[in-house]
Amino acid sequence: MAASLVRFVRGGLGRSINVARSSCVLQQHKRLQSSTSDTQPTVRPKDAVIHKQLAAFGEYVSEMLPKYIQQVQVTCYDELEVMIHPDGVVPVLTFLRDHTNAQFRNMIDLTAVDIPTRQNRFEIVYNLLSLRYNSRIRVKTYTDELTPVDSAVPVHIAANWYEREVWDMFGVFFANHPDLRRILTDYGFEGHPFRKDFPLSGYVEVRYDDEVKRVVAEPLELSQEFRKFDLNTPWEVFPAHREAKEAAPKLEAGETPEKK
Amino acid sequence: MAGLIKKTTGLVGLAVSHNAHERLAILYSKILGSVQTMPQDAAYRKYTEQLIKDRLQHVETEPDVQKLEEKINCGQIEEVIFQAECELALSRKMLTWKPWEPLIEEPPANQWKWPI
Repeated sequence: MAASLVRFVRGGLGRSINVARSSCVLQQHKRLQSSTSDTQPTVRPKDAVIHKQLAAFGEYVSEMLPKYIQQVQVTCYDELEVMIHPDGVVPVLTFLRDHTNAQFRNMIDLTAVDIPTRQNRFEIVYNLLSLRYNSRIRVKTYTDELTPVDSAVPVHIAANWYEREVWDMFGVFFANHPDLRRILTDYGFEGHPFRKDFPLSGYVEVRYDDEVKRVVAEPLELSQEFRKFDLNTPWEVFPAHREAKEAAPKLEAGETPEKK
Repeated sequence: MAGLIKKTTGLVGLAVSHNAHERLAILYSKILGSVQTMPQDAAYRKYTEQLIKDRLQHVETEPDVQKLEEKINCGQIEEVIFQAECELALSRKMLTWKPWEPLIEEPPANQWKWPI
């Protein structure tokens, strides 16, 4: 079904280009026609081959490391995501780097997400790239304010500054990091500004003081109280994120991919 | 090109190997040795053993380096050696990590649910 849809969308594109060369009137005619048949003209074409490859590789990884991998999923944009237990950061990253069939030797990014309603509020995200197989993978784990996560620096040297950044912005502590200190905020800054409970205006403001001839930091004084702006629309903004009728396909180790 | 000695791999820090076959054979036998101390039903053992045996068979049957590279199809022979070194280090670490054991801890409820 999906494949036939993709073919249809591509065929439609090619046709409209040809028509554009010939005449404008015809194009309008075609457009009208396509709007009647296509209910979602801007839908992203699905690549079933890539999707299947990623799903198969995800299963391969989760079968090999069942001790650490909690869940594997392929997102709708064909990205492979591996959710792991926080104890498995070094084993999983080392496996992905050194295994002959993976070879994710480059760390592209390491960051965190703050979701305060969760029991473990921070999600740590590792984006890896395999130059050999031209593919990417995303590894996710979780922690809270007090639990340290193992540092990825022994595996990927690039993680050094990224982890300093996450420590500075979110206050996630990385165990065994060689040089964990602030990196982006100012000297003497207090707090972790990317946390959701950090106020938008901060706690202090700085100004140059002519008498003491230096920049001084003072507690913040706002001429107007920060009001709570209610910017929510009355419309449903993300209809695609409605509670799914059927659960999203989770890949378990050893399970065969769905045949579609 | 036939008969000429390869001067460079074109990759920084990766020297040309003149005894690729011996080196690969030694590395692969070491990997197999370390992998075979793992439990019989470990997926890592199963897949790695199969992969390495395939490559070892290519190394043993194909004396010409260029054809061997084509058969293995994973880059130049020096890169293949590097991959084997990595795999050997990994398989030794795997023995201490024991990743074939069951999951250490289930995630808290709704940990991976998005959007919340």
